[in-house]
Amino acid sequence: MIHWLRRLVHKSRTESQLDKELRFHLEQQITDYLKAGMSPAEARRRAQLEFGGLERVKEEVRDTRWETGLDNLLRDFHYAFRSLRRDRRYAFIAIFALALGIGASTVVFSVFYNLLFNAFAAKNASRLVIPAIQDRESVRKSGPDLEPLRLRLSDLNPVRKQNQVFENIVGYLAGEIVLVNDGLQMYQFFDGRVTSDAFDFYGVPALLGRGIVPEDGKPGAPAVFVISFKTWKGNFNGDPKIIGRSYTVDGESRTLVGIMPPRFRAYGSLQQIWLPITSTDGMPGTAQESRVSLLARLKPGVTVETASADLDVIIKRLASLHPDEFPKHFDARVESASDFLMGPQGGGPVFFSDMKHMLYDLLAAVIMLLLIACSNVANLLLARATVREKEMAVRATLGATRGRLVRQLLVETAVLTISACSLGCAFAWSAMRVVSEVVPQAGGGASLGGRIGGEIVIGLDFPVLFFSMAVTVLVTLICGLAPALHVSRADLQPQLTGGGKGVNGSFRHGKLRAALVVGEVALSIVLLIGAGLMIRSFYLLTHVDLGFNTKDILVAAFIPPPSHSKTPPVEWSFSPEGQVVLKKVVDRLKALPGVAQVAVQDTIPGYGPVRGSEVTVPGATHAEEAGLEGCDENLFQTLEFRLKQGRWLSRSEVETAQYVAVINERLAHDFFGDQNPIGQQVKVKAFKKPSQPPKDESFQIIGVISDVKSVGPQQPAIPMVFVPATIRGGFILLLKTAVAPASLMHAVQEQVWSVDRDQIFVVFDSLKDFFQKLTYATTEFGVMISAPLASIALLLVLIGVFSVMAYSVSLQTHEIGVRMALGAQQISILKMVIARGVRLVAAGIAIGLIASYALTRYLASQVWGISTRDPWTFAGVIMLVVLVGLAACLLPARRAARVDPLVALRYE
Amino acid sequence: MNEDRTELLKGTLDMLILKVLALGPSHGYAIAQRLQQISKDFFQVHQGSLYPALHRLEDRGWLQADWKESDTGREAKYYSLTKKGRKQLDAEVLNWERLSEAVALILRTTE
Repeated sequence: MIHWLRRLVHKSRTESQLDKELRFHLEQQITDYLKAGMSPAEARRRAQLEFGGLERVKEEVRDTRWETGLDNLLRDFHYAFRSLRRDRRYAFIAIFALALGIGASTVVFSVFYNLLFNAFAAKNASRLVIPAIQDRESVRKSGPDLEPLRLRLSDLNPVRKQNQVFENIVGYLAGEIVLVNDGLQMYQFFDGRVTSDAFDFYGVPALLGRGIVPEDGKPGAPAVFVISFKTWKGNFNGDPKIIGRSYTVDGESRTLVGIMPPRFRAYGSLQQIWLPITSTDGMPGTAQESRVSLLARLKPGVTVETASADLDVIIKRLASLHPDEFPKHFDARVESASDFLMGPQGGGPVFFSDMKHMLYDLLAAVIMLLLIACSNVANLLLARATVREKEMAVRATLGATRGRLVRQLLVETAVLTISACSLGCAFAWSAMRVVSEVVPQAGGGASLGGRIGGEIVIGLDFPVLFFSMAVTVLVTLICGLAPALHVSRADLQPQLTGGGKGVNGSFRHGKLRAALVVGEVALSIVLLIGAGLMIRSFYLLTHVDLGFNTKDILVAAFIPPPSHSKTPPVEWSFSPEGQVVLKKVVDRLKALPGVAQVAVQDTIPGYGPVRGSEVTVPGATHAEEAGLEGCDENLFQTLEFRLKQGRWLSRSEVETAQYVAVINERLAHDFFGDQNPIGQQVKVKAFKKPSQPPKDESFQIIGVISDVKSVGPQQPAIPMVFVPATIRGGFILLLKTAVAPASLMHAVQEQVWSVDRDQIFVVFDSLKDFFQKLTYATTEFGVMISAPLASIALLLVLIGVFSVMAYSVSLQTHEIGVRMALGAQQISILKMVIARGVRLVAAGIAIGLIASYALTRYLASQVWGISTRDPWTFAGVIMLVVLVGLAACLLPARRAARVDPLVALRYE
Repeated sequence: MNEDRTELLKGTLDMLILKVLALGPSHGYAIAQRLQQISKDFFQVHQGSLYPALHRLEDRGWLQADWKESDTGREAKYYSLTKKGRKQLDAEVLNWERLSEAVALILRTTE
């Protein structure tokens, strides 16, 4: 190696030594011939004849050395740059097309990789699993619905000891809100209470200070807490001096010991502060009884199946100890954390978020796009290769070997692809900033359920850059090799003697190029149909008739602090104390400028109520599980329900807790058919919360409204009963605003605090945002990625068809000239060229349609509301591609029609 | 070119060079001469094969080269066998013997 390096550095010395060595040989030979008695002239002649060319021998010696190869490669690069600069327009189109392809695939790969394989900042994140439970009963009723398993804290240790499959398993309680007071100011934070080993388990070190350590969980340990990066920046101005200070957290003095880095959102994605669960003391009395969510890490080599089997046995044993805490028939298993986050079950059936499937579909789409870009470039390279056949023939005659020619052409392609890769990465870098904005907030259901996530970072990180480089190498080979082999195979004779446009060669090329265009069009059809289906279903999804108006509604809620968590919000809301606060707050909010109406309800419209209350009517033979909703007199007006019969609840009925109810059409139809339900009774046989049984279970029906969606827009409406909030409870406020809802968030919060500063009251988002985050986000994400991909594909097809048509017209100039000289009209030439283009496009469309017909069923989980073979989408895409194809043919056709026969014939 | 003189089998040139050099250091011309003499002019070693081979063997570390004064008083590049080269020679000779035995066997038995 050192020897080689030395030779590279002392190149001239090596050369002169080689010269010296060979000359010595030659002279030695001459001396010998002289000794043999030849004349000096004769000796020299014989010796030189035998030696052959000195330079040739040198060249052969040089070929044994590696640095010669390097030298040639550099020369090839140099030459490639020069020849591409000569053909600037061609190079620009090729680089641009490829850069779009490489850029798009880099972005999609980054999303794919970072969401599926890099979603967690935890160490050994690939082995993170979430223990989950599936109620067999509900599977039978409504399909698979995997829920995270929650265990009593006191059951966690036995599970830790009994299992053979987990490295460790930790517990946490997420999603409660606590008040934090530093003596000057009151903060309201989402907290996460974690078993004290949870931070070590996760393995992300604190940014400042320390995380929670196992000692913090020992009885009598000083009370501590840590905060998130966002909280630190947002609420404490990023002041590092706050570490070590004491705060009152949920009524208890705690020391802030650490600030976590930005990429730490474990144990519930909303969490702003984390507290250790101390073993018995220091926690609200029920700590040992609270049921914690779980996160585990598999031992290396243990599969999800093995772990599931092990866990199932342990949990079933537990269930036999406390049968009332588990469903009657269930299966316990583990799900990889990434699958849980991205899979269809992650958000439950309501949230429609099969991200994993979608990511694979998008990856497939971008590979198609890349293929389109490749065939574009291959097309351009083939065209160029045809023009250069003569040049190659000359080179071959001058002694270039085939390998050398292929290498030179590959180097030219590499120059194109490497430039395209850099440009593509630049595209990708700027696109990623937009894309990270539209990535659905992992754990969109966090405000309701609290999921792991939020640690996803989309960027040009190392694996992604590596991917785009690998793509570049692949593209170089795909695009470059065929034309290179083609050219170097060419028979020399006709190239040198003919005009440089070998008829046979270009005919063959023409077929290959046409095939490439057909393939390109076919791929674009598949891509466009896929994107079209997503766009259509996004439109349908966002235009579902919900039965109410989501516009200008601000959602806010009372959440009693965990220290009084014996009283769930619903019950608090109709306790006498709660009633007073609620009434005061509603009155104040109504007076707020910009607020048109305030209504009370106990669920978020669109996402509640769910089935769960058994209702029937006197004389009916069956009962039904309906959604029961506590609300006040303003709800009707606020959400703009549509009244079918009777009237809505009145103010006095709500205030005096009258047993009256409004039902929806579905319930009316199920129990009364065509009869008038007004004045009839409806019996609520089982309330969802048995702790608050109503005094009487019969309600008089006073009105019927049209169906309202309450389990997500995709599901059909369920039977519903609306009763006064004073009976059923209600703690969620819906504010109909006359201005943009978000602009009132601060004012609303202030108003509530002016009534009672100790109330935890959260102003969420506008109702539209709930729909956006919980339901539309995934589909919208699919549209936001696939629509640009489809547009790029269309642009590439335009370029592809245009370049192949323009090229074939330029080859046919002579033929067209002859035709015109013989009397062909301009219009017929125009028709001829367009007809050829249309034939190519039509062939592509036909193939693309067959492929789409076979492939779109894989999109089934992304498409909602239409068939995956939606005829309107198919028809629309065909129209679009035909138009683009025609547009691409037009310019070359016009050029053909304008050929001057005299000029064309002179080409001869 | 003289028809009687056979071109060397591919790969055997390396072995022959190593063998010649096993007798002692030598320069390119002398190696060519000796190969020709020993084979009684049967092998014609062309410079176009000899020098690339020498450089290749040097690259692989089987030969080592030094510039020394030759008999005629001029500086010449003398190649000599390295330890690695000697091992390689042994291996190649063994191989060759096996091959030629096998070929001979086939020729005898098929007669």
